[in-house]
This record gives sequence, C-alpha cells and structure tokens, in this order.
Amino acid sequence: MKAGAGKMDLKKIVLGVIFLAASLIAPAVLPEAYVYLLGMMFLFLILVMSWDVIVGYTGQVNLGHTVFVGLGAYTAALMQVPSRFEGSIDFLAGMPQAPIPISILAGGIVAGLFGFAIGVITLRLRGYYFALVTAILPLVFMKSVFVFSEIFGGEEGFSIGLERSLAGDVTLRYYYALMLFLLSFAIIYAIVNSRIGLRFRAVRDDEDLAESIGVNVVRYKILSFVVSSFFGGIGGAAIIHYRITIGPDLYDIPLMLLIILSAVIGGLGTLYGPVFGGIVIYLMKSWWLREMLPSIPEWLPINDDVILYAILVAVGVLAPEGIWGKVKEFIRERSEIKSSQST
Amino acid sequence: MIDIAVRIIVYGAVVGGIWALVASGFSLIFGVARILNFAHGIFFILAAYIGIVLSKSGVNPYLATIISVLLVGGFAVAIYSGLLARIKEHEVMVIIVTLAIALLVEQMLIIIFGEHGISYPALISGVLKIGKTPITYKRILAFVVAIVVLALLQLFIHKTRTGKMIMASSQNYEGALLVGINVDRIFVITMFLSAVLAGIGGILYTQVFAASPGAAMKSLIFAFAIVILGGLGSIKGSIIAAFIIGYIITLANQFLGAQWAEFAALLIIIAILVFKPTGLFGVEE
Amino acid sequence: MMRKVLILVLLAVLIFGCAQQEQKPEATPTPKPTPTPTPKATPTPEKTATPPPFGGKKEVVIGVIGPMALPEGTAEKNAAMLAAKEINEQGGILGLKVRVVVGDTKLKPDEATKEFRRLATEEKADMITGGFSSGIMSAMMEVMAETKTVFLADASSPAHPAMVAKEYDKYKYWFRISQNNGSTFAWDLAEMIDYLRDQGVTVDKVYIIRDEHIWTDAVMKGLTPLLEERNVEIVGDEKVPRGYTDYEQLLLDAQDKDADLIMPILAIAGTGDVLAKQWAELQIPALLAGHDLAAIDAGFYEKTGGAANYYIFLADGGVLVTAPPTEMAAKFVEAYKKEYGHYPESHQAYGAYDAVYIYKMAVEAAYKAGEKNPFDPDVVVKYLEKYKPGSPAKLTRNVAFHKNHALVWGDDYVRNWIAQWQDGKQYIIYPSTVANGQLKLPPWI
Repeated sequence: MKAGAGKMDLKKIVLGVIFLAASLIAPAVLPEAYVYLLGMMFLFLILVMSWDVIVGYTGQVNLGHTVFVGLGAYTAALMQVPSRFEGSIDFLAGMPQAPIPISILAGGIVAGLFGFAIGVITLRLRGYYFALVTAILPLVFMKSVFVFSEIFGGEEGFSIGLERSLAGDVTLRYYYALMLFLLSFAIIYAIVNSRIGLRFRAVRDDEDLAESIGVNVVRYKILSFVVSSFFGGIGGAAIIHYRITIGPDLYDIPLMLLIILSAVIGGLGTLYGPVFGGIVIYLMKSWWLREMLPSIPEWLPINDDVILYAILVAVGVLAPEGIWGKVKEFIRERSEIKSSQST
Repeated sequence: MIDIAVRIIVYGAVVGGIWALVASGFSLIFGVARILNFAHGIFFILAAYIGIVLSKSGVNPYLATIISVLLVGGFAVAIYSGLLARIKEHEVMVIIVTLAIALLVEQMLIIIFGEHGISYPALISGVLKIGKTPITYKRILAFVVAIVVLALLQLFIHKTRTGKMIMASSQNYEGALLVGINVDRIFVITMFLSAVLAGIGGILYTQVFAASPGAAMKSLIFAFAIVILGGLGSIKGSIIAAFIIGYIITLANQFLGAQWAEFAALLIIIAILVFKPTGLFGVEE
Repeated sequence: MMRKVLILVLLAVLIFGCAQQEQKPEATPTPKPTPTPTPKATPTPEKTATPPPFGGKKEVVIGVIGPMALPEGTAEKNAAMLAAKEINEQGGILGLKVRVVVGDTKLKPDEATKEFRRLATEEKADMITGGFSSGIMSAMMEVMAETKTVFLADASSPAHPAMVAKEYDKYKYWFRISQNNGSTFAWDLAEMIDYLRDQGVTVDKVYIIRDEHIWTDAVMKGLTPLLEERNVEIVGDEKVPRGYTDYEQLLLDAQDKDADLIMPILAIAGTGDVLAKQWAELQIPALLAGHDLAAIDAGFYEKTGGAANYYIFLADGGVLVTAPPTEMAAKFVEAYKKEYGHYPESHQAYGAYDAVYIYKMAVEAAYKAGEKNPFDPDVVVKYLEKYKPGSPAKLTRNVAFHKNHALVWGDDYVRNWIAQWQDGKQYIIYPSTVANGQLKLPPWI
C-alpha cells in the first residue's frame, strides 16, 4: 500500500536521499567530537521512533518509555559484565561475555517482554490513570538500580570496557549507529504502513468503533506496546555499546521529556516527523546550546537545560494541538485527498 | 517495644500529614479543572526556598513563611493564567508543559543554590520526651499545622460559598456555568489554594528535614502515587491515602532500612493499582 | 500552520548556531598575565627570551572536570584557576601561558564522559584534574585511555589504581592526587577508635550510616576486620541514598541498640548538616564521629547553626583550613580567601591546586633532563612517577604516588586527619604530630 499521493512521495524520496548522503559523508568533513555526537543522535532517533509507535500510531500516551530504554541498556551491560552477578545470582555470573549483536538483541527482547507485561497490566487503566502510572514506572526501575547497586552499579553505573564498544574507532562506531538506525527505521516503517499499522491507527482514532468493526483492541494495544518497547530496548542497548558506560540516567525523566519534545515538534504519527524532530532537538541540545553556554552571563541562573525546557513550554503553549489536533488534521487531509483521487 | 510503636505512630502521622497537604492540593486542581499539574512539586519546594532567602535577609521566620506561601500561590496563578488557561483542554500538553516548567525551575534552583540541601530557620525548637522516645517539637508542629490546615480546607469546601462553587465546578463543569458560576475565577482560586497547600507542606517538610531541588520531584512523585491510590478527584481519598503511604514509609524505614522505604511504597502502590485501577476511592470516569 | 513556522524558526536557529560554532568562545575567562615575567618561587632553568616551540605549542591547557553544582566541583575549579593565575604571573610553564577550561559532570556518567572527551579533544587539554565520585571516575578513565590525557584525579575507590596496575599501558595516565584510597579511610577510622579509647571513651558498639554507593562498600570491606580485631560490634549498618534527610529514625534506632558511636561514612548523600542538626537536637547519648565530606567545609558550623559542635570527622586530603600542614598550604588558603571571599569550600581544592603545580614541576623536570617534548603525555607520566615514597613533591601536602599511582598514605604524606568541630573552629585532635587541639565531649554524654 503506497502511502499518500505521488507528489508527497517524491518530496520524501528526495529528502531521504539528501539525508542519507549527508549522513554517509559526515565523518569525512566533521571533527571527531561531532561525529561521536551524530552517532549518538541516530541511536536517540531509534528511541523517538519507537515512542511514536505507541503514542502517535496507537494513541496510548505512555509516559514511561524510558523503562524500556533502561531495561535494554542494563540487559546489554550486564551481558557484557556478567561478573556483577557474583554474590547474588551466581549462575549468571559464569556467563561468557556475549557477542555484541546478541547483546543488543537481548536488550530488545527483555524490553519487549516487559512491554508485554506492562501492556497487560495497564490495559485496565484509562486516560489519566494510564498516563500517571506509566509516568511513575521508570522511577520504580530507577530505585531498583540504587537498591540493588552491587548488580546495577547504583547512581553512577559502571563501564563495559572499551573493547566491548561497537567499534574502537569513533568513525566506525558512527557508521554502525547509522546502520542500526536505518535498519530500525525500515522495520518500523514496514510495520506501521502495513495492516497492523492500520489497526493501530484504528485503535487510536476510536477504540469503540474499532472494536465494533472487529479489531481486537486488546491484542493490538499489547502488540503496539511490544513493538515500541522492543525498539526502545534495542536503542538503549545500542547506546550502551556506543558510550560504554551505563547509568540510571537512561531511566530518568529528562530523557523522556527529550523524546516527547522531539516527537511532538516533529508531528506524532508520521514517523518522519519524530525523526526530524529528534534531529533538531538532539543537535540543539548537544551542539548549539552547548556552544551558547559561555556567552550566557554568569549572574543569570540559566544553563542549556533551562533553555531547552523554556522552548518546550513555548512550543506546548503555542501549539498545543500538537498531538491530537495535528494528527487528526493530517488524517482528514489524507482522506480528502483519497476521496478526491477516487472521483 | 512500646517506644517503637509510639515512634512509628508519631512519625508516620507527621509524614502522612505533610504529604496529605501536598496530595490534596494536587487532587483539588485536578478535580476542579482537570489539570494534571506536574509542576506541583515546585510549589512545594519554592515556598521553602523563598522563605529561607527572606529570613536570611532578616525577615522574621514566621512572617517569611506566610509571605513565601502567598508568593507561591501567586506564582501558581501566574502560571495558570499565563500559560495553562489557553491549553487546558489538551490534557496531555498540560502534562508536558507543567513537567517542563518543573524541570526548568529545578535546574535554576540547582544553579542558584547548588544541589545540596539548605536548612530553614527553626520555627520552634526543643524536644518532647514520650517515655524513652524524644520527639522534636518541629515534628509536632508539622503534624498540628497539617491537621489544622486540612480541617480548614474541609470547612472551606463544604461550608463557604466559594467552597461550594468549587465543589460544583468539579462535579459538573457545564452545570456550574449554567448556574452562573464564574468558573474561570473558580479555577484561579483553586490554583492558588492548591499551591498554598503545597507550599505549607513544603515549609513544614523543610523544618523537619531540609530543602533541596531534588525534593521537588520527590514530592511530585509522592503526590501522584497518593492521588492515584486515593483515587483521582477525591480529596478525602488523597488524605487517607497520604496517611497510608506515610505509615508504609515509616514502617519500611524502621524494619527494612532506609534504602527500601520509598521503593517498597512505590511497589505497593503499583500492586494495589493492578487490582483496583481507579484507586481506593476513585471516581469512575 | 503554527507548527511549520516553528520548525522553520528552529531550523534557522540551528543554522545560526552552527555558524556561531566557527568562533570558539573561551570556556572560562583566562587570567590576565602581568607584564613582568620574572620567575620566582619555583626553580626554573635559565632560558633565553623566546621559548622553544615544542611543535608549535602556543599555550598550556589545564582542564577541570567535576560537578559544578556542588562545592566539590567549584572548589576544584577555583583552586585550579588560582594556581593558573599564580603560575602565569610567574611566566607560565616553560614560558607558555596556562589556560583553564571547565567541564561539568552534573554527577552523571553520560555527561562526564562527554565533557571529558570535549576537554581532551576539542579544547586539547594537556592535563585534566578533578573527578569526584568513584563510579563516574571509572567511566572517565575509559575516555582518558582513548585520548591519552594525563588525569590527576580525585575519588577514592581502590578499583581505580587497580585498573592502572592491571593494564598499565592503557591507564597509566591516571594518578590520584586529591586524597587517599577508600581503604585508608578504614585505617584512619580504626585509629580514631583507638584514640577515643585512649581518651577514656567507651567504644564497644558502633552504628554505621553510609552512602548507598560503591565507595562505602570498599571502605566497609577494609573496616569490618579492623573493627573485629578491636572487639567492636557493628550494631547497625544503614545505607542512605543521595539527599536523604530522615536521620532521626536512624539515630533513635542507634539509641535503642545502645550504640556508643554513630559513625557516618558520607560523601555523596550531601546531607551531613541535617544529620548533625538532628543528632544535636535529639541529644543522642552517642558520639558522632566518622567520615563526612560536608563537615570539612569551613562554613559547616554556621550552616548547622552550631549543631556541628563536637562532631568528629576525617579531614580528607590532609588539609584543614585551620591546620595547614605545609607553608604552601597556609599561603594557598589565604590566597584563596583573598581571591574568592571565603576559604576553600571542599578539600578537593588542595588536590586541584597541587595537580596544576605538580604538572608544572614534572614538565619542567622533563625539559631540564633534555626531553624533546616535555608535554608528551607519556613523558609527563614518567616524570610524575618520580614522586614516589621517599621523594614526595612538597606542595600543599607532601604528594607521592605508589606504583599503581595511588596517593601515598602516611604521617609524612597525606592522611585523613582526625578532627573535631569545637565552638565554631576545626581542630585536629589526632595524630599528635599535627594535632592542635584536644578531644571534647558533648555535655549531654
């Protein structure tokens, strides 16, 4: 099923090609520190895309996405340093270090399993309760990192060692991250543009209607959770293999807010939108705002985080329809185009 | 044995009382305006910081307390009128915007005051000994003030005209409009009240413990957990849930150790929610 | 549509930001050198007016990395900047000006590694000092191994020198200069108990309150056998998270268990002032004595409103404002006060100050010995290692490194002095070689 009219396709293809070309030659023109940053950005985009699946396409406002990121990350990290299980779950401590692709996949699978469980548990929650409960879930996992600090490393986490990174060379690492992003994008794109994706959107638009036309709402909600959490976990695990260190910050609220900001600015439910939003937000936070830091006068209680949040407030207040309204408009436009096509 | 029991009863009551103030504030603004105010924790801690700054500049601590609580109320009204009023129909956006405000203010506090806590000047000092257990007057003050304020809140809501209008608006928005209630004004008043409650809770908390930027998020999380447990939209539920949680934390602190206290509380809440998704006294949507 | 406008605005801002990136702003204001470059206190070799190029090197860049929202971070930054200023006034290092650049770890490993990388690769730091917090240190050491930057560091976990010992070639750029290993805290705490007993205080039952953090695990590993040797019973071992404030319950628990001594092992919790206040207010019949970073701060007494009186603590890093062990330390403390209006807010200051000076000394020694590039990290490491037991560098403390680059512990080197707050002042009460005060017991015991 082709997505949208021919004209829109051409625009997307051109943009896509430009983007691809730019990403491929980036390491040749940019200094190393920036290449490192861009690699991280691609992994961040995986997080944003995966969130779009559950929120943008299926309409479930899951405020606890970082649970899956963190789970994927800790799974991968522990598979690289199984000695941390010594003294608690000894039989696991004897595991050999897992090869990197297995480690990342494991991160995704563990996250996916939790996604399934959480999907089932939160099924009965509606509206605000769903949002609030998913909001506090990451904090429970965060607490567990502190309480079981011999295994998880507590507040400051631990390192998996340079040899276990995606690649010793920064440029090579960048390409691996890019490849992982493209792969994830391709798979998620295929899913949301398939009949499964159609059913996701049916659940989003009107649950009762969907139920009445035979869509098993429960099954598709859970499926969406699993897909979303799987890729969230893949992203988290990949991040660990990229930056070598793990910490509870991958469970924390500021990361969740960055994901939300990216998806909302980009436009939920479009996949391209959140990717674009993610690029803008990530570069802004890590690159531009950091450059701006020294020029901020000392007496002003502002740092790069403050500016980012201020922007988020502005965006939220000025374009609040961001989520629902825009998506509904988008759909309306599409159905108008469709109906004008068929005449 | 008796000493430990006394200690648990008193400490649990103090913690419960403080959180009850915070939670009822959160519940109030939600019940009335359907606003999930993620910046609620900021009101909690900002009152403490403003009070500290004022008293460092020489203002009498009692006066500083009153002024800072009122200022925080004003700040809440400003946030509502300036930012939230125009987007209040988009509930998810409200969450995002208030969360961003919360993180923003937290960062600014960290920059200005540093991450470590600072102390509030003592409003009262000394220790009361019940048997072998010493209980600081600060804790007693916290409990007494919390109870008094909560009682006043109930009186206000059920007996005064404005209070009844608040109740009406929370039960039926359109109905209230029809009857001629200036609902927008009610929202503003409720926002003010909500922040004042959080602010008083914050200052009491700081008396017994200390003010730190991290406490803002902590109080928010507990406000949520309590309100979810008690049931969104039910102030009575929030108050009862607050005391339940207060006791769970105190018991966990005593018997499981400091590390487990908060973790245990959160786990229990999630467990309860799995069985009763609308909380203990929740209003079914 | 609003959103499209917003996106265009953001794009413009992004492009503008990238353009800005061309002009690199200074990370911190560089201290302005005075026009008279005659070298003074440090013995620099006589040289001609134009310094040798060292491959086109224009300046020496010193990086400071730490949690800038905490006193530990700002103290490091201030001390390093003060050292740089003094050195520049005396002509710099081998004629090259010193510039300080700052990185903020925000106590998060992700931020810390990003900042370390930025200081090392973008700012091209020749040496980086700081750290704070053992878990973050491990993460930064990996980046250090990649960028091969000399890292004169802080933190206390014995795991770090162990890394140097295990893979010397990879991690040899790391040296611990701010304080001793966590294991030495155990030795000092045990000797503290011996001292208290010598003074007639009963210490049979100890209640421990420590950071929920890996560094205290290392301390406990060393402390537990030492306590056993001395027939001291550990009646409580509570781990508290960062920002914890509910000490009252713990204190009463200690009282229930008849503890003679309440021993904090705190650094990350950051709430030592609340502990002191609650201890004093409840008038617990047990001494409060142990390791608490917060108590080292000169302003701690005021912060607690006097409740810190009688608090016994370890003076990490071997320096107290009221008891500087060397002449350079005394001068530094006063210079710091003059420059910043208050005494060093944390002992990390001495480590950072010494780090800059010892780097200078190592580089100059390398140059004097004829090394072609004295700034080469491998060369610097060689000359830093010359400061070993028996030949310490005399700075604000006597600094020497073991083979695994840990800081040497001893009466003539760096020890965690046993100190006590008495009526608003800090006094060292043990060991007697540096003591300037006597133990005082709180009136309610």
